[in-house]
Amino acid sequence: MAQSWFKHALQRSALQPRRQTASLAVLGMFVAIFIGALYLSQASSTSLLGRQLGDLIDERDRIQQENEALRAEIAGYRTVERLLRRAQEMGFAPATNDTLRYLVVEGYNPDRDAVVIPVDAALEESLPEYDESFLGWLQQQWDALVGQVERFNSSESN
Amino acid sequence: MQKSFNQQEVVRRRTPFVVTILVVISAGLMLRLASFQFSLPLEVQSYLESLRDAGYTRTLELAADRGVIYDRNGEPLAVNTLDYMIGISPNLVSEPQRTAQLLASALGLNELEIYEKVRSDDPWVQIAPRISAAVRQQVTALDLPGVTLTPIPRRSYPQGPLAAQIIGFVGGDLVGYYGVEGYYQDQLAGQVREREISRIPFDLPETTQIGHGSDVVLTIDRDVQYLAENELLRSVQESGATGGTIIVMNPRNGEILALANYPNFDPNAYFNITDENVLRNPAVNTIYEPGSVMKVITVAAALDRQAIAPDFSYVDSGVLNVAGISVYNWDRQAYGAVDVTRVLVDSLNIGAATVALEMGRQPFYEEFNEFGFGRITGVDLEGEESGLMPVPGDPNWSEANYVTSSFGQGISVTPLQMLTAVCAIANDGLMMQPHVVRQFVSNGEIIPATPAALGRPISAETAQQVTQMMVSVVESGLDNPARLPGYTIAGKTGTAEIPDPSGGFYQSGVSITTFVGFLPADDPQVAILIKLDRPREYWASQVVAPVFSRFVERLVILMEIPTDDVRQQLSALGGSVNNINR
Repeated sequence: MAQSWFKHALQRSALQPRRQTASLAVLGMFVAIFIGALYLSQASSTSLLGRQLGDLIDERDRIQQENEALRAEIAGYRTVERLLRRAQEMGFAPATNDTLRYLVVEGYNPDRDAVVIPVDAALEESLPEYDESFLGWLQQQWDALVGQVERFNSSESN
Repeated sequence: MQKSFNQQEVVRRRTPFVVTILVVISAGLMLRLASFQFSLPLEVQSYLESLRDAGYTRTLELAADRGVIYDRNGEPLAVNTLDYMIGISPNLVSEPQRTAQLLASALGLNELEIYEKVRSDDPWVQIAPRISAAVRQQVTALDLPGVTLTPIPRRSYPQGPLAAQIIGFVGGDLVGYYGVEGYYQDQLAGQVREREISRIPFDLPETTQIGHGSDVVLTIDRDVQYLAENELLRSVQESGATGGTIIVMNPRNGEILALANYPNFDPNAYFNITDENVLRNPAVNTIYEPGSVMKVITVAAALDRQAIAPDFSYVDSGVLNVAGISVYNWDRQAYGAVDVTRVLVDSLNIGAATVALEMGRQPFYEEFNEFGFGRITGVDLEGEESGLMPVPGDPNWSEANYVTSSFGQGISVTPLQMLTAVCAIANDGLMMQPHVVRQFVSNGEIIPATPAALGRPISAETAQQVTQMMVSVVESGLDNPARLPGYTIAGKTGTAEIPDPSGGFYQSGVSITTFVGFLPADDPQVAILIKLDRPREYWASQVVAPVFSRFVERLVILMEIPTDDVRQQLSALGGSVNNINR
């Protein structure tokens, strides 16, 4: 029995290096496949995103071109001849020197310096200041909860 | 059995040799492969790379959007649109007859011809080289299999012929010709980029930004331009002239507000023009002898050089024999004792020649040179001519040239040169460079075109003296028809004879009539030149002075220039009127 066990042990020991090698090879293969799969997955998703990006660029260009076309169309509708014709259809007539009156407004000087009105300091101070933080929000929630409990307790005691 | 054993033995013995040979050959091949990768001559390497790239990539040429051209108030004058080339892949068409029928009706083409193309054995056939965006929409709505629509960039001019000779046009090669399109081709066109498109699915497409062309804002006011073109067309038709020009300019900064020529063209259909001269801008590249308009320059130059005083006078005997020629007044009359103002008011050739002779030859030419005659103004339009001013020492110069140049004959200028010189008088002696571009807009950044001074040919005092004389010309002189009630106008007409192309003499009975003026005389906001070529009537005061009055009557309303009394009231209140930048 002991002899057969020894024999068996010897047989195992003879096979051991081959199995280890095979295991390592299989493991290596799995790792390689895993890395390859990761690479393929990454590359394909990058490629897909790249294509989507390309499509979006094309879409942007197309929209820009359509905008240009619309701008041209609008400009066509706004030509002087067209505006004149439309104005005449609506009953307008060209102004003449006889029908034109210039008004001189006393005290009004078109070349005056621009006046910058200073911002009212009091008004500026009264503007609400944004100073919220996550901890502050937690504190608010806690205070609200405590308040509710206190109100509940006081109503119970009443 | 023995034989088989021997064979096995032979195989066993030879195998190592065969394997060794194969290994050596493989190693050699591997080394050769490695040498391809690492140690090839550069030209071979680049050749191999080009072979590789030809298989895996294609080059796409991306034309940048051309900059838009606007007038000073932001109205688009030149924009980009798309036309489409329509084609079909016959292999993908399942119903050729129906496809041909629908396409023929949408495109307005012969159904049979389209049917033949649809039945073609070629992989792709062009059906129409260029269709509009509207037709493209109709075709797209048909949803026909196999039909392809390829966009083709096109420059569009929504205002039609308006300001055509200022703007120029863009040809089928997407290059600008004439006008602003030609002069600012580099700025407007942007950069054409080449993009490598890979056929390998994992390769990312490039996302490089294309350098679009700069937008250009002109100094031109579309409404003033329309008014000028309409007035020019009307006056050409009424006077029987063969052509003409109207230029409206701000003398203070050299901005050209309008520049109209007749004949002109539609830049949307430039390819229909058979006479190339129509595409050019006669205001800057056609020279003519300006006639009596030049007298104001002669007088200004003489006053500035102090060759004469404002109260200078002489005795006009009706003829002046000098430099081997006889100079007569326009009506061949003698005017007796006249002062320098009357020289302009009555447009006396003898007076102008006398003033030039008082000044002396050298100062005369120095002053004319300072006024910019004989050299380009540098306006930003293609094809500007410098004019012709023969000076002492030139083979075509004679002493007579010196005398006749004083009243605008024997010297040739462009209309814009003439107006620029007169603008110096309007602008207190400072001569500004004329220009048509106000600003560039590139990637949201505004780059203004700074007005440039060409020089100060005369002093402010001289400019004011000459202005007063020019006011007298319009108020009480021959050019009285140019008056406009309520406004003080400074101006001067010129009736110029036309040299015979065969040389030597002038053609009889034909003239080029010009009026140059500015208003309000005491605070000039616009300077205007109107020129009509070969009208039925001979004299400018009869032909072009009334046109000036009619044009200015509309212009002051459009530009909101109030009458003198209103301006004076405003001045009394400490204000002024300057709506030039409206």
